[in-house]
Amino acid sequence: MRIRLIHKLAFGCAVACIAPCVQAEDMPQPPPPLAYADYAQDVVPFVQQHCVSCHNPDKLKGDLDLQRFETMDQVVDAIAVWQRAAIRVKNGEMPPRRTDAPPDDQRNAFVTWAEGLQVNTVDCDVIATEETVGWFPGVVMSRRLNRAEYQNTMRDLLGVPVDVEHLFPADNSGGEGFDTTGDTLYLSAIQMEKYLEAADRAIETALPRFDALLANVKERPGTRLDYANARRLLITAEPSEDLPPSMAATLAISSFIERAWRRAPEPTEVGRLVKIFNQAFDRGDTYLESLKLAYKAALISPNFLFLVEPKPAERGEYALGGYELASRLSYFLWSSMPDEELFGLARTGRLQSAEALQQQVARMLRDPRARGLGEQFASQWLEITPLGETKLPDPTRYPEFDASLAQAMRDEVVTFFYETIRTNASLLQLIDSKHTFVNERLAKLYGFEGITGDDFQRVWFADDRRGGVMGMAAVLTVTSHPLRTSPVNRGKWVMEQLLGERVPPPPPNVPALPADTTHDETLSLREQMEVHRENPDCAGCHSRMDPIGFGLESYDPLGRWRTQPDGSPIDTAAQLPSGEAFNGPAELKKVLLANRDGIMRNLARKTLGYALGRALTQYDECVIDDCIHNLQASNYRPTELFSTIVLSYPFRHRFSGGESDVKETS
Amino acid sequence: MSTEKWRISRRTMLRGLGASMALPLMDAMMPAKAAAAVAKPPVRMACIYFPNGVWRDAWIPKTAGRGFDLPYSLKPLVGLRDRVNVFSGLDKAASRGGDGHYAKTANFLTGEPVNKTTGKNVSVGGISMDQLAAQHVGGMTPLPSLELGIDPVISGIDTAVGYTRLYGSYISWRSATQPVAKEINPRFVYERIFGDDRTKARAADPRAAADFRSLLDLALDDAHRLRHKLGRDDQVKLDEYLESVRAVERRIEFNMKEDPREWRPSSEPKMTEAPENPGGVIERVRLMLDLMVLGFQTDSTRVQSFMFANDVSGRNFSFLPNVNGGHHDMSHHENKEDKIAAYQEISRWHVEQFAYMLEKMRSIPEGEGTLLDNSMVLFGSSISDGNAHDPNNLPMLLGGNAGGKLKTGYHVASERNTPLCNLYLTMLNAMDVPVDHFGDSTRMLHEIQNTETFDPFA
Repeated sequence: MRIRLIHKLAFGCAVACIAPCVQAEDMPQPPPPLAYADYAQDVVPFVQQHCVSCHNPDKLKGDLDLQRFETMDQVVDAIAVWQRAAIRVKNGEMPPRRTDAPPDDQRNAFVTWAEGLQVNTVDCDVIATEETVGWFPGVVMSRRLNRAEYQNTMRDLLGVPVDVEHLFPADNSGGEGFDTTGDTLYLSAIQMEKYLEAADRAIETALPRFDALLANVKERPGTRLDYANARRLLITAEPSEDLPPSMAATLAISSFIERAWRRAPEPTEVGRLVKIFNQAFDRGDTYLESLKLAYKAALISPNFLFLVEPKPAERGEYALGGYELASRLSYFLWSSMPDEELFGLARTGRLQSAEALQQQVARMLRDPRARGLGEQFASQWLEITPLGETKLPDPTRYPEFDASLAQAMRDEVVTFFYETIRTNASLLQLIDSKHTFVNERLAKLYGFEGITGDDFQRVWFADDRRGGVMGMAAVLTVTSHPLRTSPVNRGKWVMEQLLGERVPPPPPNVPALPADTTHDETLSLREQMEVHRENPDCAGCHSRMDPIGFGLESYDPLGRWRTQPDGSPIDTAAQLPSGEAFNGPAELKKVLLANRDGIMRNLARKTLGYALGRALTQYDECVIDDCIHNLQASNYRPTELFSTIVLSYPFRHRFSGGESDVKETS
Repeated sequence: MSTEKWRISRRTMLRGLGASMALPLMDAMMPAKAAAAVAKPPVRMACIYFPNGVWRDAWIPKTAGRGFDLPYSLKPLVGLRDRVNVFSGLDKAASRGGDGHYAKTANFLTGEPVNKTTGKNVSVGGISMDQLAAQHVGGMTPLPSLELGIDPVISGIDTAVGYTRLYGSYISWRSATQPVAKEINPRFVYERIFGDDRTKARAADPRAAADFRSLLDLALDDAHRLRHKLGRDDQVKLDEYLESVRAVERRIEFNMKEDPREWRPSSEPKMTEAPENPGGVIERVRLMLDLMVLGFQTDSTRVQSFMFANDVSGRNFSFLPNVNGGHHDMSHHENKEDKIAAYQEISRWHVEQFAYMLEKMRSIPEGEGTLLDNSMVLFGSSISDGNAHDPNNLPMLLGGNAGGKLKTGYHVASERNTPLCNLYLTMLNAMDVPVDHFGDSTRMLHEIQNTETFDPFA
C-alpha cells in the first residue's frame, strides 16, 4: 500500500503541482489528469451559450461560476458541481428561460458528458491527510459522544435505563448534516458540569445505596429496574477471604473500563482508578461505595466521553484495530457501545475480516438497538427533529397537535425505518409502501379504525393515499407553515432530502407579484405562484419545486388527507418541466421512483456521511458507486447498503501523522 | 490574549506607581476612590439577539438626537425613552458577502467574516464581544458569563447555501472557532446561579468535596495522557475538554478563596425556587429575562447573552393581532401590505419584552441608583430588512447607562458605512476592557459617551 502510494505521488507531482510543493517526496500530490472527450471543443461552447450569462464570477447566480473552468483538470476537481448542473439541465430547470432552451441533442450531449465524469478509481483506496484532503477521502475525527449516544451508552453500559439525555444541550450538525460530525461537536463549560452530574446520577441509579433502593421501591411500585442485572454486570468481583478488597477492586475496575472505554485498559490506567477506590475505602466507605467513586471517575474521563482512535507512531495509512472497528460499527448501527460479542471478536482479533464484519452487520441490524438508526440517522436525514420543538402548527387552528401527537408522528418515521432495516425489506419502500406503523393517536389522525393503545402496530393501507415517507405526518407537518401548507417547502424537501439536490435560496429582494395579479382576487394561491414563475430568477428552482409540492396538496398542515370544503378533491395535478405529468401523491411517487437510483444514491451518501461523521469528497463516490451496484443487485436490501459502507476502505482505515504530528500543549 | 496580560500589568503598575505618580492624576483619582470605598456597583453587560430583522419604516425614528419619535415597533419604549439609545446607520461590512442568514448571525457579536462551511474549519473570525468582556471581568464573579436561549440548536446543514446551521444558533463565541453552548432550560439556569443539590451537598461535606476534586484531577490527567496519542485535529477536541474541566475548577476555587469583590448586592432576589419550564413562548422568554436580571442582581455574573430564537426562526406569532404565520415567513414580506403589518407587529412584541427587562432592572435599587443605571443591555438583529437580508443599517438598541459611562435618550443616526463594531468598542470600554479596536471598528461612538465620567485611558 505504502509503496503504491509513493509511486503514484511521484507521478502526480510530475504532471501537475497545484498545492504548494514543499518536498516532492513527502507531499502527496493530486491524482493524474484523465483522458476525457475534448472539453474545450465540445463542452465550452455549450456552457458559453447557455450558462455563463448568469453563472459568471460577477453575477454568481446560485453561487455558481461556470466560467472559471478552463481545463479538464479543473472540471474533474469539481465533479459534484458538474453533476448537479447535469441534473438541472436534464430536468429542464436550466436554462430557466424557455426561449434559451438548447436543442434536445445538445442538451443530451451535455448531460451524457457530465454524468460520465468520474474520479480515477485507483484513488478509491486512499485516506486523505490534512494536505490532500481536497483530493482523497477525508479523515474521520476523534470526537465526543453526542447526547443520544451518551444516553444509549449509559443504558447499555449500566444495564438499567437512566435518563440523563435531557441534561445536555442539543448537538450541532456538520458534514453531511449529522450530529456524528467531530468538527462540530464542541465541548463547553456547561457540558463538563453536566457530565459530572450525569455520571453521578447514572451510577447512583444503577447501584443505589441499600436504603435508597428501599425508598425507591416504596415510592414507585410500578418501576422495576433490574438492579440484580446491573450489579452482575458492574460488580464483577467482590472481596472474599482469598481476595483482598483492593485486588477485587482491580478486577472489577478492569472489566468495567474495558466496556466503558471500549478497549483493553492499560495496567497504569486501572491503577489510577484503584487509587481513587482506595481513597474512599481507606476512610471507611463500603466496598460498593468506594467502587462507585472509581466508576464515576471513569465516566467523566475523556476515555469514556470521546470516541478516540489513537495514532500509531509510524506515519501513513493503517487498518483500524478490532476495538476501534467495534466502536465504529456500534456507533454507526446502534448509536451505542459495542456489545459482548463485538468485544469478544475485538479482543481476539477476529473482527477485521470481511466475513466477520458482514456477519456482524447482519446481526446488528436485526438487534433492537438498530432502532438507533431510525432515531438518529433517519430523523436527521428527513429533518423531523424540530417537530414539536421549534416546528409547531398554530395551536388555535390545530388544537389536536400536542407533544404526544408530535412524538407519535416522529415515532412513525423511526419505527418504519427501523422495521425496514430489521426485516431487510427493500429500501424503496421508503418512497412508496403498502403499510406503515401507527398507534391509536396517529391512527385517529389518519382516520384508520380499530387501532388502540400507545404501541405502534403495522397497518396495511386500503387505498393509495399514503405509503412511504412522503405520506407521513411528521414530514408533512415540518414542511408546513403554522397555518397553512407550503407547496414550496414540501417540494424543496423532496428535492433536497430525497433527491439530494441543492436548491439555492431565493435571490434577495424577491419582487412582489405584479400589482394586477395580487389584487386579482380571483387568482388562487396556486395561480399566483404560477405567475411568479414567469420570472426567470424564480423559475430555475420553482419550476420543479412547486409541481412536486402541488402533488402533495391533498395533505393538510398536520398531514391529514383533505378535500375542498365542498367535498370535491383538491387540485393536485401538476407537470414537471421535463414533461412528466401526475395527479396526486400516488402518481408523484411513480414519477419519483423512475429515478430510484438517484434517490438511493442520495440515501447512500447520507448514510456514509453519517457513518464517517464528515462531509464527503468526490473520492467517496467510489463507495457510493459500490453501494448502488450492490443495492441494484439485491433489490435494494438494507444489509447491502450497510455492509458495503462497513467494508469500504474509508470505514476500515485511518491516517496517522506519525510521532511528530503533535500540536503544542495550550 | 495579550490584552488580559496588559490589564493585569496595568493594574499592578497603578498599584505600584501610586506614590511616584504625577500629582494631577492622583488628585483627579482620589475623590473618586474615596467615594468608591463605599464600593461602587459593577457595570454589567447583556447582549440580546432577535432573528429575521425588522420593517425599517416602523423602526427608525424620523428625527435624530434627543426627543426622537417612536415608530410603531418601538412604541413599547414610551416610558423608557430617556433610558435607551436607538442606533441607525450601523453596518456589519463583514456580512455583506455570504448567504442571507448564517453569515450574518454567527458573527453578530464578532463583526468578522464567517467561513463558509458545512463543518470543517468553522470560524466567525474572532472572539465575540461578550466573551471578550467575560475574559476581563469574569474572574470577579462565580460565573464568568451566562449564555441563554429558548430554542435548541438548529440541526442539520443548509445544503442550499453550504453552511452548517450551527452558525444560526450561536452569538457567543469563546474563540473564532468555538461557539459557547447556550442553556435553554430555566431550571438549569437557576441552578447554575444558586447551585443544585449536589453542589450544596459538596459545600456541606468535605469528603464529598475531596472526592469531587479527585475526579477532576483524574479527568485532567487522563486528558493529558490521551492527548499525546492523538493526531493534531483530534488534539483540538481534547483541548476543549481540558478547558472545560478548568472552567469547573475555576468555579470551585472562586468559592474557596476570599471573595474579590468589595461591593455586595443590596437587594434580595424575589425568585427563591428553581422554576419549571413553562409551555408558552411569552412565559419562557419572560422567565429567561427574569433569570438574566437575577444573575445581574445577585452579581453571579456580569456578562450575559440571550437569543430570542435561532436565526431563520419560523416561530408562530399568530397570537398577535394582524399576524397569521411564522416569523421568517412574515419577514420575507415581498412588499405585501398584510405581511408588512405582521412583520412590524412581531418586532414590536420583541421590543415589548426588551422594555419589560429594562423596567425590571430599573425597579431594582442599587447603590444610589438602580440596576439599570449600572448596566448596558444591547438588543438587536443581524439583518435589517428581512426581505433583502441586508446587513446594513442594522436595528440596534442599547438600554442603561453602564454606571454613568454612557448617555441615553438619543437616536444616534450615524452616517453611512459606520461600523457596528464602533458601538461594541464603546461598550467594551464602558466595561473597562481596555481595547482600542474591535472587529472593523474605526472609532468610539462619542455620541453616547458620557465624557465626564468616561475616560477609558484614565
